[in-house]
Amino acid sequence: MKRLSPVTRVLVVAILGTSLVHAQNLSFVTCPIVRDTKTVPCWLAEYNGEIYYLGNQGGVAQDFYPPQLNHEVLVEGTIAEGPRVCGGAPLRPVKTSVFLEINRACNTILPVEDGIEAPARAPARDPISWVRSDGPSDTTIYFDFDNDFLSLHATTAVQRIAEQFQQTKASAIEVQAFRGSSRLSNGTELLEQAGIAEKRAAKIREILEGLGVPKASVRAIAVTDVRRANGVDDPWSRKVTLSVKK
Amino acid sequence: MKRGGVLALWVIALTVAVAAMPRQLSPPPFKWLPAGADLVLTREMTFENTSGRLGILNADGPVNTKGHVFFQPLGTNSRACVTCHQPANAMSLSVDTIQERWRATNGKDPLFAAIDGSDNPSAPPDRESSHSLLLNRGLFRVGLPWPPVQNPAPEFTIEIVRDPTGVNRDPVWGLKSARPTVSVFRRPRPVANLKYVLAPDNGVFNVKLGVLLDRDPSTGKPVSMNMMADARAGTLAIQAESAYRDHQEGKAQLRQDQLNQIIAFESQVYAAQIYDNSAKDLAEANGPGALGPMNLFREMAGVLNSPAKPVFLFFDEWKNQTEFRQSVARGNDIFLNRTFWVRDVAHINSIGLGNPAKRSCALCHNAVMSGMDRAPGWVDLGTTNFPTWTEPKTWNEAGELPVFKLTCRPEARPHPFLGRTIYTSDPGRALITGKCADIGAITMGQFRGLAARAPYFANGSAKSLIELVDYYDRRFDMRLTAQEKEDLVNFLRVL
Repeated sequence: MKRLSPVTRVLVVAILGTSLVHAQNLSFVTCPIVRDTKTVPCWLAEYNGEIYYLGNQGGVAQDFYPPQLNHEVLVEGTIAEGPRVCGGAPLRPVKTSVFLEINRACNTILPVEDGIEAPARAPARDPISWVRSDGPSDTTIYFDFDNDFLSLHATTAVQRIAEQFQQTKASAIEVQAFRGSSRLSNGTELLEQAGIAEKRAAKIREILEGLGVPKASVRAIAVTDVRRANGVDDPWSRKVTLSVKK
Repeated sequence: MKRGGVLALWVIALTVAVAAMPRQLSPPPFKWLPAGADLVLTREMTFENTSGRLGILNADGPVNTKGHVFFQPLGTNSRACVTCHQPANAMSLSVDTIQERWRATNGKDPLFAAIDGSDNPSAPPDRESSHSLLLNRGLFRVGLPWPPVQNPAPEFTIEIVRDPTGVNRDPVWGLKSARPTVSVFRRPRPVANLKYVLAPDNGVFNVKLGVLLDRDPSTGKPVSMNMMADARAGTLAIQAESAYRDHQEGKAQLRQDQLNQIIAFESQVYAAQIYDNSAKDLAEANGPGALGPMNLFREMAGVLNSPAKPVFLFFDEWKNQTEFRQSVARGNDIFLNRTFWVRDVAHINSIGLGNPAKRSCALCHNAVMSGMDRAPGWVDLGTTNFPTWTEPKTWNEAGELPVFKLTCRPEARPHPFLGRTIYTSDPGRALITGKCADIGAITMGQFRGLAARAPYFANGSAKSLIELVDYYDRRFDMRLTAQEKEDLVNFLRVL
């Protein structure tokens, strides 16, 4: 794939940022809903009387990791234009974060219904991914709320950074981990647990060292400042950046 | 010399030569292979069982058991590796065999060594009742240190709720002893087809947890973490050392050459049903490519289920054959394609696949030829944890297994579907990691040679394949028809 020039990248980010500001963003905590179909189940969420489409059942190679019944989910997304999907208004991009505590009330499975179909399977790499690589030496991983889990794509990205370090005989890898927050559409602000940035930094450090990067070459820091939530691009505040230094 | 004298010399010479030769085994060879046996195991052997015959393939050729470390007692209790890994039982051990040994030796066989062949090493060893879990369910005691060596600050506390064997409250062996130990009871796993068991998932990561796989300390290479019920040993060498110490009560350390001999033997032995009383020859030319030990030897390990290469390959040729073979082929189709809601399984539904996931058996049992999970396969299917466990409905009812109450710390990541207070008969992987989310997670086992080694599940709760299928049917509300169940059982029994 052709790599974007730095100038183009800046423009893309600016355009994306602008579109995020102007598009209608939603953030809410709810019970997820499973919609059975004749093919694969869809995942939906209800907010203020409207049903939103989150994504399909897939595999771990997908960017969309479905929510879990018995757990509430934080949904952060942008209402996309276009027809309803699987009976819901599509959110795109959408980030879903499963809350760890159990809520048995989250238990809705809708049956198969004529006329409601799951869309064709999304490509393994969604154009809007929760792992962003800016060239071989810089990667950013975006996390679910209050979570330090690394998806398949995230682990692959960390491995590539370790390989880049080794191939280029670089001096260090800088790891910066952040704690984020999320402003819900009802005005509530959710702050990630204290120490989550440290956990993310420690996890990445451990993996890099396990991949053969010398301990002294991993400069991992947890950023103590928490960016103020704005209800627009909050999912992008829960991140770890990795940068290979010459 | 007269002609008669020459003949007599020949007879004597031949007799001496035959007496000096190890006994060659041909089918049916032996049912029980005692520790210390002096025999030659042929390259291919068959052993009768109630469904037909199990095939064993020693791919590297005949194995002389005399002086062979796998077959000789090494520790202090007269057991050898083979004691619990019998060729006739697909290199595991069936309850039928265990009961036969009890009858044949009046309980004196080293198999019943008090250390783990008894419900409680402090119980009177001569009494049959002291060995009830081994005799009734094929379970050996596994005593694990508490807190775990790997995590001295575990995320949960353990209380003993029920202790029918008395071992967990025992002053010498229990949780409050000088060496605090949690005893759980598990089936021995088959020591066969190990290239499939040991093949690591693609890459260096445990895709389920987003962390690095454990590594072989001697090579630095990632390991599958699929060998033991709780994945506590990643390599054959580590497993052998621990078995020598814990099951054979060895006091020294195995030498490298001894380890090498064990590993070499274990790495070349294949086991699968080779003849079925109804399906007949399972290893016939142009038959299904997954059946019989020779196919296990030939196929490549570490392959993930796909339409081009399904878990147990193809049974299409059987779809127009005898009624039984058609049933097996249908069973394979059900296994691969019959979807149901896979739900509340920790390390399956909690790892990015969604809860529930509408998938088939092959979602989890996805490794070609073995039916294991290609990724590290410890999952909380529910067999050991209340309320889906295989034991009596409530924990205050009488039962055979211990029951523990595990309370997770408020700051710990909870078990995804059971929360922070969990009643369990076996905490599984959590006894190694100390993690709340791992409570009840048991590594799934391989599907081969099942007909030779009942009962099933790590806790020996399914006495037959239909009981195993019934558990899944109940657990996931699969609503299998009687015909579908029969097809699945027939499919499983020919593997």
